[in-house]
Amino acid sequence: MLKSLISLVLVLFVTSCSQGIMGGNIEKNLEATDKIYGRCDNPYRSMTNVEKEICRGKVAAAGPDGKIDDPISLNDIFDRFNNPNKNIVYGGLSVNQYLWQGSLFVLENYPLQTVDSQGGFISTDWIISKDDPSRRCQIKINVISQDLISTGVKTKLICQEKDNDQWYPDNTILVEEEKKITLTILEKAQELSNLADLS
Amino acid sequence: MKKLTLALSALAAVFGAASAKAEVSVSGSGSVGYTAPAGTDADGFVTVGQFVSFGLSTTTASGMTISGGMGLSNTPTVNNGQAVSGGKTLTFASGGASLTIGDVEAADTPGSVGGLVGDEIDDEGGFDSDVATGFADDDGLGFKFSTAVGASSLTLTYVGNDDFDNSGALQSDAAGDNSVVSVGVSVPMGAYTVNVGMASVDGTTESSAGASVSAALGGGTLTVGYSQQTLDESEKDTAAVYSFASATATVRSQETAAGEGDLSADGDTTVYGATYSMALDADTAFAVGYQSAKDADNDSTTQFDATLSRALGGGASVFLEMRSLSGDAATDGTAVALGSRVSF
Repeated sequence: MLKSLISLVLVLFVTSCSQGIMGGNIEKNLEATDKIYGRCDNPYRSMTNVEKEICRGKVAAAGPDGKIDDPISLNDIFDRFNNPNKNIVYGGLSVNQYLWQGSLFVLENYPLQTVDSQGGFISTDWIISKDDPSRRCQIKINVISQDLISTGVKTKLICQEKDNDQWYPDNTILVEEEKKITLTILEKAQELSNLADLS
Repeated sequence: MKKLTLALSALAAVFGAASAKAEVSVSGSGSVGYTAPAGTDADGFVTVGQFVSFGLSTTTASGMTISGGMGLSNTPTVNNGQAVSGGKTLTFASGGASLTIGDVEAADTPGSVGGLVGDEIDDEGGFDSDVATGFADDDGLGFKFSTAVGASSLTLTYVGNDDFDNSGALQSDAAGDNSVVSVGVSVPMGAYTVNVGMASVDGTTESSAGASVSAALGGGTLTVGYSQQTLDESEKDTAAVYSFASATATVRSQETAAGEGDLSADGDTTVYGATYSMALDADTAFAVGYQSAKDADNDSTTQFDATLSRALGGGASVFLEMRSLSGDAATDGTAVALGSRVSF
């Protein structure tokens, strides 16, 4: 009986080299049964007790979506606690990296409120001059292209003035200032691109 | 002999001329938790454990993967329970099948569902049920074969000798050396998945059969199962004495009386159970389980499990688990464990 069993298993195994009987894919089937039993307790998988324990740790760490996220940063938590209006999003870069880096370079002397590399959006916090504390401005930059082109970045300046301790938009149109910022970003982006080509 | 030669020739063709890619990987996990066990006046305790697994694998030119591994562990359920394990199996896997040779475990409780908690409660929760379940010995030297049949999965496990793990005779005539066979099939049927299994031990009267059905329900997965296990009272006695004699580290869980296990008469144990698991959000998993068991002594218990786990990112997670056991048990009640697991 044992010899027959071994022969049957060997025949089935050899005939299942690239795919199982009737075109089955064992890994795909195992993933389907993982959803029922859980990967670590799936009777159709072979795991030692140590591997099962490690599996449990991995599955718990990944959560139901199956992804292990970046660790929670205490600095981020305290930062958000101290700056509740701050909104910083860190993600993968989905816009032109040179335009992005150029934008960060131009704004490096200002406090930033929002930095969203996925959406290509940066905004500074309100900038107030000591010489005129009743007026404040904010710079918003939107990188809209994955290519290094002159129309790949848009800049907007928003200013407000204070009246009776309330801030109101002053409706100032600062087209020239916006153009200057945009040109500076494009020049820096081109410089970074040239440096990258040389290296 | 001719059949063996043909089989070897076929295997050589499958393996191919040379290895294409070899890999050694290391992974690990750790846990820390606090368990409040069942039982009146039982002390709560802290558990810490770590596991490291060294995985060895290579891929032949024909695309077959051969893998093995060993592990280091300090299990949270035993004080100073460091151990080296593994190195007792080798797995050959292709796109359609896998074959594991060495120390394998038969599925002796097919259809039995409902138990969800980790070792912090399962082993250390202080419970002592009077209901006997599972074969006296379900693992040993043999092989486990899994293959895909269309969208279905078939697993055949043969334990040739349950008294040896990686070196011994298959189908030994020595007293106490038994062989175990189990077969399991998983078949998707529309919105449901049906799992059917059976197992038997050669040399004893132990056998089992069962089935479970799973379906997506309300954003989660519901599984309902039934298992019937025919157990041998004398085999259960032997198992209880053996575990006493081999204990070398401090064991926190209570032991039954030496010499007599939980079974005093041959017969059937029936287990009904159900589990429901769902994701509360992308990082939080919740599951509940229910199990009712009754053995040939007419001892019966009802068990309720609940688990909650939340991923914290970076490989860490926190868990909260609970088990409530009632019925015929030397120690019943409710045990709770909470803690953290880390994956490295």
